[in-house]
Amino acid sequence: MALRERNGWLLSLILALWAVIVLVPILIALFVALKTPEQLLGGPLSLPTAFEWSNFSEAWKKGMMGTSLVNSVVISVSAVILIILLSSAAAYPLSRRKKKWATATYLYFLSGMMIPFQMAMIPLYKLLSQLNLIGKFAGPVLIYIALGLPFSVFLYTAFYKSIPQEIEESALIDGCGPYRTFGSILFPLLKPVTSTLLIMNTLTIWNDFFVPLLFLQSKSSRTIPLSIYSFTGEFVNQWNLIFAAVIIGSLPLVLLFLVLQRQFVQGIASGAVKG
Amino acid sequence: MKRFGTDITFILPAFAVFTLFLVVPVLSGFYYSLTDWNGLNPETRFIGLDNYIRLFNDSDVGNAIRNTLLIAVCLTIVKNALGLTLALGMQGTGKIQRIMRVWYLVPVMLSALAIGYIWAYVYSPSDGVLNTLLEAFGLDGLARDWLGDSRLSIYSVIFVSVWHFVGFTMIIYVAGLQSVPSDVYEAAYLDGAGKWSMFKNVTFPLIAPSFTVNIVVNMIVGIKVFDTIFVMTNGGPGTSTENLSILLYRQAFAFDRMGYASSIAVIMFMIILIFSMIQIFALRKREVEH
Repeated sequence: MALRERNGWLLSLILALWAVIVLVPILIALFVALKTPEQLLGGPLSLPTAFEWSNFSEAWKKGMMGTSLVNSVVISVSAVILIILLSSAAAYPLSRRKKKWATATYLYFLSGMMIPFQMAMIPLYKLLSQLNLIGKFAGPVLIYIALGLPFSVFLYTAFYKSIPQEIEESALIDGCGPYRTFGSILFPLLKPVTSTLLIMNTLTIWNDFFVPLLFLQSKSSRTIPLSIYSFTGEFVNQWNLIFAAVIIGSLPLVLLFLVLQRQFVQGIASGAVKG
Repeated sequence: MKRFGTDITFILPAFAVFTLFLVVPVLSGFYYSLTDWNGLNPETRFIGLDNYIRLFNDSDVGNAIRNTLLIAVCLTIVKNALGLTLALGMQGTGKIQRIMRVWYLVPVMLSALAIGYIWAYVYSPSDGVLNTLLEAFGLDGLARDWLGDSRLSIYSVIFVSVWHFVGFTMIIYVAGLQSVPSDVYEAAYLDGAGKWSMFKNVTFPLIAPSFTVNIVVNMIVGIKVFDTIFVMTNGGPGTSTENLSILLYRQAFAFDRMGYASSIAVIMFMIILIFSMIQIFALRKREVEH
């Protein structure tokens, strides 16, 4: 009994300690973003005395963050929608046909989960230059789709198997074609997996730095992470501006997460454990 | 036959994008690793295994492989130990547990880039948060140049990666723990099992699927780490934090040695492949069905 109580006490201590370790750096970044350069000299732990909101507008202007925000939204939204459409469609026959070609195609998609992007990076650079897609959104969007498909096909295929086949058979008897059966009957049933994939793919793509670093270098086409990165060269050690940019760039996803946190936690949980 | 035609229309779009933008590039990566392509010169020669021979004699590559494995193994161990501990404390559906779960997940939402900046500031030697805090508690002796000391920097970087993603590992364990039926615990409790023996004999075997996922995923993520290192140290000081991803990027885009960089990518791919195979076979055996 004594051992049990001591364990409980230790566990709570670790939990509380980690909560503090998570909070402190974020809080300090927030404070720094609100300080003037003079206040910054007062040490990292000092509280901002007067809130310098102009850091945010300055970071917004200097980092051209309005443009990057729009770019990030356009790229993430189009890539995520296409991943979901393409993978839910492909997984449908793959999960239903008990033929060799279906299994082979399924494994073909799955093999993509083991491929590091670095392996494809150099040839992709050549391919996109040949297609004249460097600096255009289509390139990264297509790469994100290719990278996102394996896991999405995998999750959808597993989920289709839990949907009874009678549903689509009766739809066919009622004269519903295969495309309409998929679009208006099956796709809505996939909602749990769709929301998991929506969140996980948005997270990966929104925060990705590597692909834009290679393919979207120009000021007008860069995404949020590149825009934040641009502050290192130009404004060395202007921590207040860098952190203002970091906060502007992180806020959309953090807010989205706080709104959808319940679905997020359940989504990852069901997706990951089944996987 | 008509049904097969319809099936094709469902599969083809995904198949085409996946093949064109991932499979074909990967296969040509294998080919480029056998050439001296330098990115600028349109004339590329086939040089057989020369790149690989050079690679085995390149001390930078040996160093990068050691760093890659060190990062991957440390990340996997620490994230799983901490993630499982946090998850054990998160059991139940109370309000505090729900809030803490969200709290621990906030760093997961941030980009590795943003986190790299935040921690570069925390770690900075003279006016950094960590050293200032240590001094405030009278622990001046523990203050270090966390990223500038070549023996420490790799561990400082590993810690940042743990901080970033441990919430994700935790959530997967939380899900695994929730799937353990409560009557199993009750039965073990009635049989007089203590807390530790309950964990070892009941909980752990039943959460083995989450354990497999967490080990494999964290290992693969650990081998690939790029953004965090790129922003915080860019492989330095010296080459003390240079892993295969960073070396590969430098060889390809700073030195334009595309052929050589491709052979490094192949090595990285092999490491990932070998690890995932071993882990999937070794860990799957331990799982139990319930």
